[in-house]
Amino acid sequence: MRILAMDTSTSACSVALWCDGAIVSYRLSEMSRGQAEALAPMIAAVLDEAGLNASALDLLAVTVGPGAFTGLRIGLATARALALAADVPCLGLSTTEVIAQGVDENAWPDGCLLVALDSKRSDIYVQMFSKPGQAAGEPQAIEPEKLGQWLGDVSGHIGVVGDAGAVALVALSEKANDVFAVDASGVPDARAVAALAAQRWNVGDPTPSPTPLYLRPPDAKLPRDGGRLRP
Amino acid sequence: MIVLGIETSCDETAAAVVTDTGEILAETVLSQLDEHRPYGGVVPEVAARAHLEHIDRLVGETMSKAGTGFDQLEAVAATGGPGLIGGVIVGVMTAKAIAVAQKLPFIAINHLEGHALSARLEATNRVEFPYLLLLVSGGHCQLLSVEGPGHYKRLGTTIDDALGEAFDKTAKMLGLGYPGGPAVEAAAKHGEASRFALPRPMKGRPGCDFSFSGLKTAVRHAAMALPEGPFEERDIADLCAGFQAAAGDVLADRTAHAIDRFLQEHDKCNALVIAGGVAANQSIRQRLQKLADKQAIPLVAPPASLCTDNAAMIAWAAIERITASGPGAAEDGLDFRPRPRWPLDPDAPSAAFAGAKA
Repeated sequence: MRILAMDTSTSACSVALWCDGAIVSYRLSEMSRGQAEALAPMIAAVLDEAGLNASALDLLAVTVGPGAFTGLRIGLATARALALAADVPCLGLSTTEVIAQGVDENAWPDGCLLVALDSKRSDIYVQMFSKPGQAAGEPQAIEPEKLGQWLGDVSGHIGVVGDAGAVALVALSEKANDVFAVDASGVPDARAVAALAAQRWNVGDPTPSPTPLYLRPPDAKLPRDGGRLRP
Repeated sequence: MIVLGIETSCDETAAAVVTDTGEILAETVLSQLDEHRPYGGVVPEVAARAHLEHIDRLVGETMSKAGTGFDQLEAVAATGGPGLIGGVIVGVMTAKAIAVAQKLPFIAINHLEGHALSARLEATNRVEFPYLLLLVSGGHCQLLSVEGPGHYKRLGTTIDDALGEAFDKTAKMLGLGYPGGPAVEAAAKHGEASRFALPRPMKGRPGCDFSFSGLKTAVRHAAMALPEGPFEERDIADLCAGFQAAAGDVLADRTAHAIDRFLQEHDKCNALVIAGGVAANQSIRQRLQKLADKQAIPLVAPPASLCTDNAAMIAWAAIERITASGPGAAEDGLDFRPRPRWPLDPDAPSAAFAGAKA
């Protein structure tokens, strides 16, 4: 099975080509912006390196968020249009589960894993995982001071990963659990996107068009009285 | 030659398939009016989300309607700016991805160039170079000398608001809803334009630049000075008529200056072309018709579907570029960076007192 995976959801841009269980071509650049310039040349380079046309793919996979709104749209617009023009199905995966997927089994905490991502606002994006590949609940946007309460009574260690990991560690310092930083990349990686997609998808599975997971409504205030001078 | 065009720079999500003979094989325009109406104007984040939601489906439907396969395309073009950057990015990435999938040239088109060349799309009404373009929409207000594909000279621009924006804000203040242009025009029909003394900003001054922010404020002050309580229908009609007449006077004055300047540099002006949403306003069109008649220059307004934002003009601008310079030279890199600001004439001196966004 051939899977082209990509991620532009946070502070990097990466593309990976998975062929029958192995990554055969891969690019990653860390960048806080500039994914709109970097992504398409990366995809072309990764396909060229393997000598493949897009139409020879079995599946496209892309991160849908939570993450930077512009980054999500860059990845999703690209993946969905590739799917259309190459007639290949497209699978969306959450950024948080991709980061959890990137944690080596040896580094996995004896307890649960908390993925915490920077939202560029006061809140952070979080999701809990009880075991590799097993989420305990949906991704959420939450204020750090409410994190301990949101976690509730979990037993065992809590390993924290993600680019808001430091914020989460401070927020959870009062917890009775042993809370520590997991030694893993806090940035989603297209190789993990591909690996997770390969686990989850079988040829012939339905693939509804992936949609962004913004977790926050658009920042826009409704004008008072619709902006009328005399309501 | 068949080209796919994509437009997502403001509040219309659009795709079109166009041939080099100027035939529009299919086109789709999805307006986001309902999404933006509660806000009384276009909200960038709302627009960007809506573009992403619909663009791939629209492109697919448009290609099917045209009966064109992606492998039959010569190139894929998208608006690369100027515009609301979140939306521009969605269109550009969609076009780049199709280009990668089909190994096609990707062409980034300046939205203003799309409008500038739209008067040449219809084979039966093709305007020859050079001509003068007045582009008046919600996001732009410019006078351009159109000399050939890639050759434009900006004669004037707004130093603050675009005229369409002033229409929208006037409608919003008076409670006429969104979009404001058609609502103000309808209300103005039965109004007395001379009742309120509204200013004609920039009128009579040298040059071809515009300013509408003061006119908008004058409408606000005139409205606030009315007796307390809800506005009477008569008041709204008179204010709208006054605003529209002032806008028409200003446009005619600035355009007359632009015609003079154009004729200093060219033997003749083949046409005065008007484009953009405001060009659909009949009162303003009549005002410009009078001016054009006086100068013996034909006034050309592309059909409404080509006047407002659309993707056929983006595909057509790419076709003009390919025809003029060949597909290799017309192509942009896959690393093209979407541009929120992109002057069509980078050599134009910035307008006096212009704000950063002008």
